Amino acid sequence: MATHALTPAASTYSRGRLYEWLTTTDHKKIGIMYVINSFVFFLIGGILALVVRTELAQPGLQFLADEHVYNEMFTMHATIMIFVFVIPMLAGLGNYIVPLMIGAPDMAFPRINALSLWMLPLAGILLISSFFTGGTAAAGWTSYPPLSLDGPLKSPGSGQDLWIVSLILIGTSSILGSINFLVTIFKMRAPGMTLFRMPIMVWTVLVTSVLVLMATPVITSALVMLFIDRNYGGHFFDPFGGGSAILYQNIFWFYSHPAVYVMILPAMGVISEVLPVFSRKPLFGYKAFIFATAGIGALGFSVWAHHMFTTGSVFLPFFSLLTFLIAVPTGVKMFNWVFTLFRGQLTFSTPLVFAIGFLTMFLIGGINGAFSASVPVDFALHDTYWVVAHIHYVLFGGSVFGIFAGLYYWFPKMFGRMLDEGLGKLHFVLMFIGFNLTFFPMHQLGLEGMPRRIADYAADAGWNDLNLLATVGGFTIAVSILPFIWNVFISLRNGKIAGDDPWEGNTLEWATSSPPPPYNFDHLPEIRSERPVFDARHGRTGH
Amino acid sequence: MSTSPRKRPAPDALVAGLVVAILVALVGAVFLSGWGASLYPPQAATSEARNVRGLYDIVFAFGLAIFVVVEALIIWSVLRYRRKSSDTSLPVQTHGNNTVEIIWTVIPTAIVLFLFVISWQSLNRVNAVSASPDIRIHAIAGQFQWQFEYLDASGSKVATQLVPVYDVDTGEGGMAVPAGKSVQVTLDSPDVIHAFYVPRFLFKRDVVPGQTNRFEFTVDATEAGQVFRGQCAELCGAGHRRMLFSVIALTPADYDTWLKALIVKANATPAPAPSGTVLTLSVLNIQYDTAALEVPADAPFAISFANKDPSGVTHDVDIRDSSGTVVANQEVVNGGSSANYVYDPLPAGTYTFFCSIHANMTGTLTVK
Repeated sequence: MATHALTPAASTYSRGRLYEWLTTTDHKKIGIMYVINSFVFFLIGGILALVVRTELAQPGLQFLADEHVYNEMFTMHATIMIFVFVIPMLAGLGNYIVPLMIGAPDMAFPRINALSLWMLPLAGILLISSFFTGGTAAAGWTSYPPLSLDGPLKSPGSGQDLWIVSLILIGTSSILGSINFLVTIFKMRAPGMTLFRMPIMVWTVLVTSVLVLMATPVITSALVMLFIDRNYGGHFFDPFGGGSAILYQNIFWFYSHPAVYVMILPAMGVISEVLPVFSRKPLFGYKAFIFATAGIGALGFSVWAHHMFTTGSVFLPFFSLLTFLIAVPTGVKMFNWVFTLFRGQLTFSTPLVFAIGFLTMFLIGGINGAFSASVPVDFALHDTYWVVAHIHYVLFGGSVFGIFAGLYYWFPKMFGRMLDEGLGKLHFVLMFIGFNLTFFPMHQLGLEGMPRRIADYAADAGWNDLNLLATVGGFTIAVSILPFIWNVFISLRNGKIAGDDPWEGNTLEWATSSPPPPYNFDHLPEIRSERPVFDARHGRTGH
Repeated sequence: MSTSPRKRPAPDALVAGLVVAILVALVGAVFLSGWGASLYPPQAATSEARNVRGLYDIVFAFGLAIFVVVEALIIWSVLRYRRKSSDTSLPVQTHGNNTVEIIWTVIPTAIVLFLFVISWQSLNRVNAVSASPDIRIHAIAGQFQWQFEYLDASGSKVATQLVPVYDVDTGEGGMAVPAGKSVQVTLDSPDVIHAFYVPRFLFKRDVVPGQTNRFEFTVDATEAGQVFRGQCAELCGAGHRRMLFSVIALTPADYDTWLKALIVKANATPAPAPSGTVLTLSVLNIQYDTAALEVPADAPFAISFANKDPSGVTHDVDIRDSSGTVVANQEVVNGGSSANYVYDPLPAGTYTFFCSIHANMTGTLTVK
């Protein structure tokens, strides 16, 4: 076994390293554990996706025992990816980087921070345990009642209850985390770090935290009501007992639409850090970008019912208009990003390559989303594979590419070593190709009428080739993860030493050692703009 | 602002421009050659669908234009502005430009407002329901079967189509409608949420328990003779993918004949209770009341079957042998009704009786 000299600071620890990590309140260690925990669930969710794609590769039920098992697979895939991977992964990146970026020694409430973290693996294990206790939830990640209520052919098993409890735990963790972020950002900024000098990443975490704080209690109420309906004979959502099935959808989406922005805004923040650094220019339109972020956050609360256009219970013109309008601030961001590249000096390191992947794919996700804002067009597309294509272009093409851009960008800061560029680019190329092979054909499948969430389709429906293509793409994505894991594995041991500032960064995390010491900074550079480290490097010449 | 923009070598710009031009040409070629048709919905079959299709085409044109412009900008920037070893000084540090921010806020706002207004106009057409449609159909979606009640002008039921999928061989089944006439469908569910979806109608509407949804469509007269595939589009449980149905467009004269035949069939005197072995079997809460039946070998037998579930939930009692081959296939019975099923003689052995709608409903039939 190879041994390595630890940094001098680490050798002074009197406690075992495992004990140290399990009991730490250091935001950096907590952030890294968030990331690791989320990545493990990303792998589990990915395997479930492969199961779904394998079943759909050909018409006929040949891989899974029956349709119910299929329903379990896609329900758990989406639940894990959304609640135990994307949201906590971004919270983890924020946890690691926000205090560093604003020149703070730690989060405002370090113990609450540790509590937020440790609720997540617990919730994830509860969710997974339903595989071994008689079956998981199978009513989709949206769990619409009456299907999610107790009863024959509905959701009689304990899996649905475990799903509810798990989501309530994750929600509680999110609420605690958002309060922690808000207090940290408002009260712990270094001298000179005014609000309009904060990195965009911090702004996106700020807006995200407001969304989480306002929306998560609402879904928690829906989940509690669903639990009461299922276990104590409540009739909140039971139309045959005086309740309303549509009520649940309104409450659910009042959270879950803002949750879409919870899942994309911090990824946008990552991109907004990476693009300027690797084009050696400031972000184009810094303030416009902040206003656009706040605009998306505000509008994000008034578009929820666009998920419900076909229910016959929605005031359609209002939600259509607001949904169309949310394209405007999103478009402003897109143009600002592109104009950041424009006339820059681009270095195509892996973070930038993933960021450009984000731009090209999120663009498609934005455009195909606008189709659903048009209510009559949504009548045709809703609940078909078109929607599956849309959410994956936004959440995978957007959030996941953004997450990987962030991991490649901050890995040297977290561990003091560089990731291998060749393996990083191999990862990107395979993932980019696999992603488009998987999800682009789904547009056509949806237009041709293939509904979501079906375990099988008729052999003569004309969907065979496109489904096979999507399955090939799915396995390509799976293969693309292998070079990433290998890269992390070898780079932790043998990667090039990063030094404090390997990318010529702009923001304060690059003004301390890699990895940073406990409490982050020995001294801070002067903060006179949103790029203090750039200013320190170039003096006044940069402006 | 201490550095000024330096002259860059021309080849970079040439290469970038060429790639962008190739991209635009490729996109153009795809759409001119017909491959692009795969990004359009199927041919519209109703007057409402043609309206939606017109709207889709406009949204698509804007989407495509924005896609090409922005992707071209990205590709241009990526190819043109690579950092070179000669780039020792910083590029111009542009922090932004309020004029262009306003331009790319105002123009997209104008575009989305335009799209919203035309969508709203289209919505008012597509969503319209009239007080006196030509035909009224009450569609009931229960786990996991559709049924279609044909109503007269006063809303009273005249006949029920319990077989939702059109069978090419027998010509039976499916929801028939007269082409060129307005059809109003009301939707109800006795259990969970389903959705009525016909891809060529470019339309779907949820079937929500506790509320009656309503929509209207007119199949184009030229579509008479066509059969349209329909399917439940809202996850409704294990049998979701099997909730298929067909809409058959007939000429008005053929439709009248079809409906009369359905009425005759509905009013036919039920078969008298057969002699010989008659078993009783009932179903409640999606479960048979017994898990085991026994009949003598090589003799006909009958089952007096009562469906005690609510209307909208259909069941039947089919039989398959130990190899899985279905040896008896009965028609479904609606909730609240009963039927006498007569079966042909079976050789001795162990069989499974089952409901063709609900995979969980099975029992053992012993023939000896």
